[in-house]
Amino acid sequence: MDRDVTQDQRYLLDASARFIEQTYPLERVREKPFRDADWAADYRRRAAELGWFSMLVPDEFGGGSVSGNGAVDATLVAYLRGGMLQPGAFVATNVVAHALSVAGNEEQREKVLAALMSGEQSAAWAVGAPAVHGPVGGTVQAKATGSGYELTGSTSFMVDADTASWLLVTAEVEDGVSQFLLPAGLPGVSVTSLESLDITRAFTEVRFDRVQVSASDVVGEPGRAAEPAARQLAIGCVLTAAESVGAMDHDFSMAVQYAKDRIAFGRPIGSFQAIKHLLADTSLLLEMSKAVTLSAAENLGTDDGYALESASIAKAFVGEHGVDLAQNCFQVFGGIGFTWEHNQHLYLRRLTTDAALYGDPAWHRERLCRLSGL
Amino acid sequence: MTKHMVDLDEFRGEARTWIRANLERRPQSDARAAGSDDRTPEEIAESRVLQRKFFEAGFAGISYPAEYGGRGLTPAHEQVFREEAAGYITPDFGGAGHVMFTAIGRSLLAHCTPEFLRRHIPKMLAGEELWCQFYSEPDAGSDLAGIRTRAGRENDRWVLNGAKIWSTGAHHADYAMCLARTNWDVPKHVGLTWFAVPTNAPGVLVRPIKQITGSTGFCEEFLDNVVLTDDDVIGEVDQGWTVAQTMLVYERGAGSSGSAPIEPRILASDLVAAARQAGRADDPVARQAIARAHVNDYAQYHLGKRISALLRTSSKPQPAIAAYGKLASGTLGPIRARLAVEIAGPLGLLWREDDELGAATSAGYLNGRVSSIAAGTNEMQRNGIGERVLGLPREPSFDSTKPFSQVVRDARNWSHRVG
Ligand SMILES: Cc1cc2nc3c(=O)[nH]c(=O)nc-3n(C[C@H](O)[C@H](O)[C@H](O)COP(=O)(O)OP(=O)(O)OC[C@H]3O[C@@H](n4cnc5c(N)ncnc54)[C@H](O)[C@@H]3O)c2cc1C
Repeated sequence: MDRDVTQDQRYLLDASARFIEQTYPLERVREKPFRDADWAADYRRRAAELGWFSMLVPDEFGGGSVSGNGAVDATLVAYLRGGMLQPGAFVATNVVAHALSVAGNEEQREKVLAALMSGEQSAAWAVGAPAVHGPVGGTVQAKATGSGYELTGSTSFMVDADTASWLLVTAEVEDGVSQFLLPAGLPGVSVTSLESLDITRAFTEVRFDRVQVSASDVVGEPGRAAEPAARQLAIGCVLTAAESVGAMDHDFSMAVQYAKDRIAFGRPIGSFQAIKHLLADTSLLLEMSKAVTLSAAENLGTDDGYALESASIAKAFVGEHGVDLAQNCFQVFGGIGFTWEHNQHLYLRRLTTDAALYGDPAWHRERLCRLSGL
Repeated sequence: MTKHMVDLDEFRGEARTWIRANLERRPQSDARAAGSDDRTPEEIAESRVLQRKFFEAGFAGISYPAEYGGRGLTPAHEQVFREEAAGYITPDFGGAGHVMFTAIGRSLLAHCTPEFLRRHIPKMLAGEELWCQFYSEPDAGSDLAGIRTRAGRENDRWVLNGAKIWSTGAHHADYAMCLARTNWDVPKHVGLTWFAVPTNAPGVLVRPIKQITGSTGFCEEFLDNVVLTDDDVIGEVDQGWTVAQTMLVYERGAGSSGSAPIEPRILASDLVAAARQAGRADDPVARQAIARAHVNDYAQYHLGKRISALLRTSSKPQPAIAAYGKLASGTLGPIRARLAVEIAGPLGLLWREDDELGAATSAGYLNGRVSSIAAGTNEMQRNGIGERVLGLPREPSFDSTKPFSQVVRDARNWSHRVG
């Protein structure tokens, strides 16, 4: 993101870029290997070796940032991932790892958190409380039974959850919001693959049909999860925005290069003001997107009092203008951009989906008003 | 330079103490927020007195060299002072004030002789010399290198003839930084020279122009055999375009980011107040508009910080990088003004005489367009970003290699066929 990085961040980013180049370069994106559980597990383990799932977990639980601000580290990695259209539940696994490090019980930490950080297992976040996530996630209700809870409802919009071993479910309870950690294979849980606009990742819907869970599956205090979940959402927003910014940067560079190379009427098309000005406006949106995302990441990692607000700001700004950018780039490519072979549509698909993940721009604008007391 | 550099915290403490003891709080509702550049002669006189007070206390030209009356500290110290002074009444020279210590002062520091600087900078910092910009002309605005004011050599003097226009604050200014053509037989960029023109010099006529709001912010000037000496030359003769490069970086708001001086963390308070007064605080349409404005304000502020960092590290040309900040305010300014009108509804369009919201909203709406044009139009910023940052091929040029006198002739017989 053309930001000053520390020596250690530079190692992390160089190693991550090499890993991506060797494992899953852009040329392979259309093969969609990520639905294969073995492939996904191998990708995840190798990513974990680089520290991809430990950055938002404190040292005492085996995690650690390379710079002192894990949210910024993760943001820089997310930016790389987005540019190269990487699959996998990077964002969700980091959210869940963070959530468990904050409020998981000993067993959850030892059994699950460790496995997430090492890449042995992955997790998905099933947000079923509209108060946390807006209407897009779905709804899950948790009813207290004698010995535990019964979960009913569904959530969708989960990235690469079909290969996840664990679900962090955020559900509505009578007097608030509770979170539960369950194995994805629990009776009553059904995971259905969905077709999607975005073909660079897999999306799933999860149904909970009177799923019985015990009191020890609760993460944190029952009924009191709204606050931690708001922070989880902020992490999801910032990392998703960062992936978007990576995708925007890559898409934009392709369009600028094309504007220099393509000749019409005896001149490179980039010399026409209609194209040049469109690209200049688009690059302004890109620069502003980088600026807000880095600021939000900084705030998130330093526990700044404005962290939730700036996460919503970043998500609203980048969500809206990521789509603008992809639409503008489309115009620059002319006919070639309308082909399956060209990567342009992959970016449009991904950026449009990123805009809706973890709350769309309009929802985050309203959230910003509420957080600000309006 | 100062003997020792005060650290930021120490400086903050010093600034805070002085500000609290010496400055008055700004009234809660300040109609000035509407962005008008109009100032009465009395207001200008008061601001000069206040500027003198800043100067004597060591808070004028905080990042200017001490040898010319500044404090010799860094832009970071200046920012600290701005943060501390937010909410207090500070010298306000209207539109001219924005550029005096940036585009003008910085260009002078970078290109003038020590004698020139000793003569002018301390007076500028003390509020004795107000400066304005004589750049644009009736026949040249965006095409700054295409100006036609002529500076001719007569014996050992310079004689200026021509016309300038849109000069903000010229009716209050003592000096103007003025661009003139000193050589007509060479291409346009290499025959230009800058001069310091006293606005009360014989032959200078300054005429105020009424702007769209009905107030007066800028003027037109006629230069009729205005006599200057070599001491009044800024930079080198015929090298004016080099000075212009420095000027443009600051004119585009680099360093100051062109947006709020402190990170906006309070939801667009002017728009929230408008929504409340209009009874629309719960209306989702108004709420979306308010949040949209705040998101843009926040993004614009952080863009400004990003640009400052890029200006220090990037190998790309500085004026082109600074163009991002200018394009942001030129595109987002009108959007914000329009959102304010949408939120206020009829209250922003019709008002009783004593109602501040209506007057402020409609004046803000009109003035919201300023940054799309003044100091370089949006289109010029897009050209700069497109060509010099993104490296897109340039437009075909019809005027950059011929002698300027021939350019003027050929433009009258414009034909779309080139070669
Ligand atoms: C409020 C205000 C304050 C000002 N203060 C000052 C001041 O203090 N001192 C001073 O010297 N000037 C000042 N100006 C003048 C300002 O700098 C010019 O108005 C501006 O540079 C545009 O020049 P112009 O008005 O001649 O328009 P033109 O240059 O004629 O432009 C007209 C239109 O053509 C477009 N255009 C021109 N060239 C190109 C191109 N190459 N590519 C694409 N589009 C192009 C422009 O973008 C614009 O849309 C001020 C202007 C305003 C509105």
